[in-house]
Amino acid sequence: MSGFFQQLINGLSIGSVYALMAVGYSLVYSIMNFSNFAHGGVIMIGAYIGFFAMTAFEMPFAVAFCLAAFGTGLLAVVIERVAYSPLRKRNAPFLYFIISAMGVSIFLENIIIASPIGPTFRTYPRVFGTTPFIVAGVNIGRLDVMMFVISAVSLALLIFIIEKTRTGMGIRASAYNLRASALMGVNTDRIILIVFGLGGLLAGIAGILFGMKYTVYPQIGNITLKSFIAAVFGGLGSLPGAVIGSILLGIIETFTSGYLSSQFRDLIAFVLLIFILVIRPRGLMGKTTEDKA
Amino acid sequence: MDWFYIKGILILSGINLMAVLGLSLLTGFTGLFSFGHAGFMAIGAYVTAMGTIKLGLPFVPALLLGATGAAMASFFIGRLTLNLKGDYFCIATLGFGEAIRLILDNVQYFGGARGWPGIPVSTNLTTVVILDIIGIAVLANLIRSRHGRNFKAIREEEMASQTIGINVFRYKMTALMISAAYAGIAGGLLGHYLGFLQPKMFQFVKSTELTITVIFGGLGSISGSVIGALVLTSLPELLRTFAIWRLVVYGAAVVFIMITRPQGLMGGYEITPTNIKKLFSRLPGSVGKKQAVGGDKK
Amino acid sequence: MKKRVVFLFVCVILTLGLTLAGCTPAPTDTAADTEPEVVKVGWIGSLTGDQAVWGTCELNTVKMLFDDINADGGLLGKQIEVIGYDTRGDATEAVNAVRRLTSQDKAVAVIGPNASGQAISISSVLEEMQVPDIATVATNPKVTIGEDGSIKPFNFRVCFIDPYQGAVAAGYAYDILGFRKAAVLYDVADDYSQGLTEFFEKYFIEKGGQIVAKEAFKFGDVDFRPQLSKIKDAGPEVIFMPYFFKEVALSSEQARQLGIDAVLMGGDGWPSEVLLEMAKDYVEGSYFVNHLDFDDPDVQDFKAAYTAKYNLPVELNGYLAYDAVQLLVHAIEKANSFDPVEIKDALETAQVKGITGQINISRETHNPEGKDAAIIKIVDGGYVFQQKYSAQ
Repeated sequence: MSGFFQQLINGLSIGSVYALMAVGYSLVYSIMNFSNFAHGGVIMIGAYIGFFAMTAFEMPFAVAFCLAAFGTGLLAVVIERVAYSPLRKRNAPFLYFIISAMGVSIFLENIIIASPIGPTFRTYPRVFGTTPFIVAGVNIGRLDVMMFVISAVSLALLIFIIEKTRTGMGIRASAYNLRASALMGVNTDRIILIVFGLGGLLAGIAGILFGMKYTVYPQIGNITLKSFIAAVFGGLGSLPGAVIGSILLGIIETFTSGYLSSQFRDLIAFVLLIFILVIRPRGLMGKTTEDKA
Repeated sequence: MDWFYIKGILILSGINLMAVLGLSLLTGFTGLFSFGHAGFMAIGAYVTAMGTIKLGLPFVPALLLGATGAAMASFFIGRLTLNLKGDYFCIATLGFGEAIRLILDNVQYFGGARGWPGIPVSTNLTTVVILDIIGIAVLANLIRSRHGRNFKAIREEEMASQTIGINVFRYKMTALMISAAYAGIAGGLLGHYLGFLQPKMFQFVKSTELTITVIFGGLGSISGSVIGALVLTSLPELLRTFAIWRLVVYGAAVVFIMITRPQGLMGGYEITPTNIKKLFSRLPGSVGKKQAVGGDKK
Repeated sequence: MKKRVVFLFVCVILTLGLTLAGCTPAPTDTAADTEPEVVKVGWIGSLTGDQAVWGTCELNTVKMLFDDINADGGLLGKQIEVIGYDTRGDATEAVNAVRRLTSQDKAVAVIGPNASGQAISISSVLEEMQVPDIATVATNPKVTIGEDGSIKPFNFRVCFIDPYQGAVAAGYAYDILGFRKAAVLYDVADDYSQGLTEFFEKYFIEKGGQIVAKEAFKFGDVDFRPQLSKIKDAGPEVIFMPYFFKEVALSSEQARQLGIDAVLMGGDGWPSEVLLEMAKDYVEGSYFVNHLDFDDPDVQDFKAAYTAKYNLPVELNGYLAYDAVQLLVHAIEKANSFDPVEIKDALETAQVKGITGQINISRETHNPEGKDAAIIKIVDGGYVFQQKYSAQ
């Protein structure tokens, strides 16, 4: 039986990584209605910022953490200004946004490779200790607990901002209908910047945690494809959906790998994606989308 | 420059062109965006190889077999996904493209991830050029016909098209199947050019490259796709000395194009004798009326 | 209207300009001065992508060695220029690169690549242009032997092949270390990993061992705990991990964290300074099959020179690239000519003592036959040579 619980913990652990990344996707999608494929690149930059902060500048974890989060928040805003807002201004179809996002992601990945930073894999210093907790025969990594706590706190803060603050109200209104909100006096330009900034912040947190749990390399962005699937599964545009979708995906993946065959681990993610798109495209908790006639 | 080297680049451009032509019909003229066409290329490639190696067919029939295989797969995929709204269709094609690759990684009959070596090298420049010309001709005729107008109508305003009686689903499916067939032929040509097939040649990156090429050339323009395929295949080769920075420039260029000129090179314009004449008659300083179709009117 | 014309115009000019720029000869890397006759040797491999660390090391090594040769008066009196192209780890790019090397650049031979997928795809170009290639670390048997069993005339290599490596690993695990129950974790998306797994399994079972678990992951995965948990439940004595150092680092760490204390074992995808940096505690006490002993006295001069010149540690590929260069130089001297076909003929029976061992190219397989493998154990965060081992 410990095998089952161990796999469950494994699944939760993977799922929580996806969750942090997926929330960023959903957040941007809820306002802008497009899938920000540059998110992966931003996460990667976050991992690098945290790494260099902790090694080259020998800052303590908390400082590096904040630096990574704010650094990527800023980066996300810059990306929005440079790559997306010109398209928004002229009402370009969503495909152009996606292509632009891909261009950004290719650019980010390769500028790291081409720069002196190079393609080598970097390892974070082990701050939290490496011996895992053993609870009833099941190994739970220390870093996993830490990640869980940090993710939960970050998400709680995010939900607080969105539900309880005035800016949050602006965000919710814009998510419902961007044009109408603008007409009602919401400064949608600023809201968009804030949303991207928040998304970037989450990306930075995801990046530094991912880097600590695994390793830092320029292709981290590719992993985020799975979290994107999780976001779709949970319902693009819904934050709780992104979290639930991610956890579920992590668990399903793990159990498929554990009980069927590990060869199908990635395949199951895509099968799930196709399944949900065919059966219920808006995902578990997504908003119903109407066709814009 | 050495002809042997240039020949190689031309063959690759021609192969990419075939896939891009198909995608152009789907994306440029019908308005559906796919991020999974590398998957159709893969199916075409493997089925064609199966045709030449296991069934002993000559090259061109095997290519047609590959095209059919890809088209059939697209039929199945289309049934499931063509009713989805725009960006969800995108995501679905992405999913299918990757799923196809992952399945191929695991099927040992086709060599799995280790690849399938020993494929006869049957592709040469003549074959590629002839097939491309046929492909362009077929596509051009299709676009110019009543069906072509229907495709464009669907691209511009889907609901209105449905209202006036165009069977939107059937047209979308046709566009998808034709584009898949083209991609399948391209895949078959690629496999028989390298003499080797590996699923990782058909990744998500490849699908993205194809879509970017269509946009670069200009949506709704066949000549744009031709130029786009030629330029985007040969440019990385010419820039070989800048190896590491190649992709950095590529990424930046993609963003740049999207921001400044998303209608691409040709912007819906076609290079035809009539158009060239009109171009020359308009050049001396006058401001002509806009003739381009398509682009970012949405 | 005017804007479009200008835009088109600029594009055309750019394209023309780039074409012309592309026609100028590639920048010279080695000192090819006023000497009228410069002979070119090509190199291909990954300078970007996941294997970039190894590709860069190879190219550096090749350049360094030919720099030395040139300084010493050159080869057969001529200066050698090394032209290296990036394949991005992609088979199509490899074909393009070799086409350019053999036709445009007129290279007399090509060194590399370090991946079988690329090595296999370039064979038709090599045959068409009649230029030989010496692969450095491409271990799939099909690189030199075609599907129908015939030899590929222009492909050679200096490393041993997967069947051999798998047999060595299985033999060492069973006979020397005495393990009877093994588990395998492998990369289903990588041909190297699949090949090694296939042969390890075959030989281990032949000897009487038992594979208690066989789990797969896909390249790019970072979390192996689902698979490792399953492996742990099967209770193996040794876990075979035939893949590359990054995944080894991650999976070994996760294995230890899950409480697995079985011995870990791997192939030549392991050795890299990066592995020790990332995971030295977790791979402590592990074994792997290597091409050579890193502390072999014959090897130290090269190591020192490389580190002095490039300020980087030498990766495994460097040693094999070194031997590839040795082999090529030997063949050129034996043929006493720079004609690619004559070089190829000389290569078929070439014998040279490389730093990775005696390399005797066999005419039937174009592989170095009877090359010993070295077993390395990781002790105290360092690579410690155990013994040379040959599979029967």
